[in-house]
Amino acid sequence: MVGHLAISQCVSTQIISYRTLGLPFLLPGAEVCFENLGCFSDDIPWAGTAERPIAQLPWSPEEIGARFLLFTQQNPEYHQASKQREKRKICQGTAWECTKPIQNHEITTNKEILLASNYNGTRKTRFITHGYIDKGDENWLLDMCKLMLQVEDINCICVDWKKGGRTRYTQSANNIRVVGAQIAYMIQLFKTIYQQRPETVHIIGHSLGAHCAAEAGRRTPNLGRITGLDPAEPYFQGCPALVRLDPSDAKFVDVIHTDALPMIPYLGLGMSQAVGHLDFYPNGGEHMAGCEKNIISQIVDIDGIWEGTRDFVACNHLRSYKYYSDSILNPEGFLGYPCSDGDVFESVSVLFLLGFKAHRGRCFPCAEGACPLMGHHADKFRRPSGAEKMKFYLNTADARPFGRYRYKVSVTITADRALLLTGSMSVALYGMEGNTRQYQVKKGVLNPGNTYEVYIDVEKDVGELTKMKFIWNNSVINPMFPKLGAEKIVLQRGKDRHTYTFCSSETVREDVLQTVPLCTSV
Amino acid sequence: MRSVFLIALCVLALALAAPPQEKGIIINLDNGELCLNSLQCKSSCCLRSSGVSLARCAPQSAENEECSKKSLYGTYYRCTCESGLKCEGDLSIGGSITNTNFGICRDPKSS
Repeated sequence: MVGHLAISQCVSTQIISYRTLGLPFLLPGAEVCFENLGCFSDDIPWAGTAERPIAQLPWSPEEIGARFLLFTQQNPEYHQASKQREKRKICQGTAWECTKPIQNHEITTNKEILLASNYNGTRKTRFITHGYIDKGDENWLLDMCKLMLQVEDINCICVDWKKGGRTRYTQSANNIRVVGAQIAYMIQLFKTIYQQRPETVHIIGHSLGAHCAAEAGRRTPNLGRITGLDPAEPYFQGCPALVRLDPSDAKFVDVIHTDALPMIPYLGLGMSQAVGHLDFYPNGGEHMAGCEKNIISQIVDIDGIWEGTRDFVACNHLRSYKYYSDSILNPEGFLGYPCSDGDVFESVSVLFLLGFKAHRGRCFPCAEGACPLMGHHADKFRRPSGAEKMKFYLNTADARPFGRYRYKVSVTITADRALLLTGSMSVALYGMEGNTRQYQVKKGVLNPGNTYEVYIDVEKDVGELTKMKFIWNNSVINPMFPKLGAEKIVLQRGKDRHTYTFCSSETVREDVLQTVPLCTSV
Repeated sequence: MRSVFLIALCVLALALAAPPQEKGIIINLDNGELCLNSLQCKSSCCLRSSGVSLARCAPQSAENEECSKKSLYGTYYRCTCESGLKCEGDLSIGGSITNTNFGICRDPKSS
């Protein structure tokens, strides 16, 4: 009797606390079922855990209103304005024309519509799913499709579930389960109608969309690939693999982390947890280059006010799909270096007490075949069998084009007299296919005879190196007109460990370029 | 012109409101930030694509890239060259007025 009383009290306080919070109280274990998609419960682990405190059943497919926009090389363009007009025009004609799918090739799970569309089962299929608040006909999804259609003949499907995403986050995080099930059902249809194997299907999901892809993958055995673009953190990080993106969801899962700081207190929207076979952390995964502009510069963006406002709200989080889009045409600029964490990857030589020196920029260069390309071409990487959650680091530029190429430079300097100089020195790379900007090697005291080592991420691949140029700058006016030069420069390329050595005996005044050719004999 | 003035005013207001930081609001601007004069930029190049477009800080031109000679306007249609390089091209009076003294960055020593 006492125990019963205690339980009822407990339940009633729970009801009150939910009501006072203004949250819908749902009986645990509630379930909804939809045609072709199965049932969805809000039992543990879907709710009632520390990570997912609020129980919410997903909406019905009708309420979510997911649309599937198909793009192929026959119809790579999308005309939103003409869509409604066209539909009206066609349906004023004969009844036969009314049954025809409308021009922009929105496909559904209806077999007739699928067969009448440009969909081709012999091609690869790539789905793109957006995240919370976003929409499926947003520019980035369409542009990504267009870029992929430039390099390959595929079926590109943008999944639009904006109605299901523009609601409370907790509701949205459950609605993706239905969208994921719809995608899985569609893949199943491809299999029955076109005999297309799920291995040829790839789902790209941004934020909540990444977990949506995971749901589709969980329901589709042998799904080819899932790309998680900064998977959403709240309601997923730390949850069981059933709920979130996980390597078991597809044969190959690659993830790009760009906003990995914790939600509280830093408002980092993405996961820091490694959840794929390959996990990429560009720029360390937490702060993206080019995302710390002042508010006006951020909003008044080169790509327009809308893009700027999006970046103002979630710049780091949105960088993930920008890197992916960029990597489609420029794969080599996104080489990922295997590393245990970002601090180790960053280029710092630490001088400990007693002169013991440890190099921290250790994850360089690439061992033979150990570096995958981040983004679209990540699936070319030959992964050791059974390997999961492999972490890779790289740096990107602050604006498009984002690709960078990493080198290690060691500069040994010499002066005509033994002088104590302060200032900065830089080098530029010259190769068969052009040259780079000047990259700073050291700022501060420049000691002739010393060797300075630094890692640089240059903006272009210059091909085979032919020479280097060295320049230095005196920070204090020196009436002695000192001359300084690079005696020897050792340059190591990250992608293939190739080392070039450059020598010169020349010294130059400040702000004069010194050309350092390849050593003739070593 | 009015919009430029408005932006300048907003920038000023922000600069006065915000506490001083390492990253600049008025000076010491990073690449990609809006600017009115090259003196504001870390890269010392405030670049605009046309006469009516907004100007942003941009990296200086490397060797063999297009460049502008130094001008008094404060903003450029092509950035000035990195240190040690000379912007080789025609220097004309018309070009000086319209800020179009373009050239190619060259190393004066290697030619």
